[in-house]
Amino acid sequence: MKIKKLFQQAASIVVLSFIIGFSVNFSLVKKYFQGEFRHAFILSEEYPSIKFIFLAEAEELFSRGEALFIDTRSEEDFQAGHIFGARNIPFVEHEEEKVLNLLPFPLDKTLVVYCDGSECQSSVELAKFLHEHDFRDIRVFFGGWVEWVREGLPVDSGSEYDSQ
Amino acid sequence: MIRNKYILFAFRLMVGGVFIWTGLLKIFDPLGFAQNIANYKVFPQGISFFLALFLPWIEVICGAFLIVGIFRGASSLLLSGLLSVFLVLIILTILRGIDIDCGCFGSIGRKIDYKLILMDSVLLFFSLNIYLKTK
Repeated sequence: MKIKKLFQQAASIVVLSFIIGFSVNFSLVKKYFQGEFRHAFILSEEYPSIKFIFLAEAEELFSRGEALFIDTRSEEDFQAGHIFGARNIPFVEHEEEKVLNLLPFPLDKTLVVYCDGSECQSSVELAKFLHEHDFRDIRVFFGGWVEWVREGLPVDSGSEYDSQ
Repeated sequence: MIRNKYILFAFRLMVGGVFIWTGLLKIFDPLGFAQNIANYKVFPQGISFFLALFLPWIEVICGAFLIVGIFRGASSLLLSGLLSVFLVLIILTILRGIDIDCGCFGSIGRKIDYKLILMDSVLLFFSLNIYLKTK
């Protein structure tokens, strides 16, 4: 088969896939251009209890003392340093049952979940899990631990039980 | 290179069948697949999103074409390309020590491990043989 014809056929398949993929998911494409999915690939109407917040709001919630901060990083990372007063609930996929045992909070409590920063996903995964278990006010702190430390905000180290 | 037409037909059925199945799983959950792509930490959020919209359709169309026997060369070439990219991504992910689902089967969780490298390599071998036969 001539190489030119082969590439023409391959290009046709790619173009066809583009057209079908975009047409079938037109509503998602529209939502993307309206600003959704910039932080995580979740539909706001499917997860109405989850909000994405930035440093200023996280700091305000921290200073008001009404929200519970949940650190979803590993126990080792948490012990090395975490937001002052945070609880450690590392979210490990396929081990969700363990997480339930660590959640003795009222369902309307404001929960601020965070992990390393904008590139980690465990905070979003935990937020989805919390939503599915009827928690009603979940904020994902997008900047996470990296941004909190960079701004010199209050931190602690050791296990959460050391500071109690 | 394998020349036996019955074996090559079996290769087409296997590669085509696997890609139709995995492609459909991804088509039904585009956001889940977008998240899977983003988890590799190779592509930015926007690119992960748009890849998730059309990549599964390439898989399904090429898979169907392979089974039916239309555009066999182009379909096997595209699928070989995809399999090669998947292989590189899987190896890089293992080397970087990132523990994630591969995203190969849509929202059905399948962790990245060495067995996955073997599975992708076998499919790539089948797919390349189909391509070389059409040349």
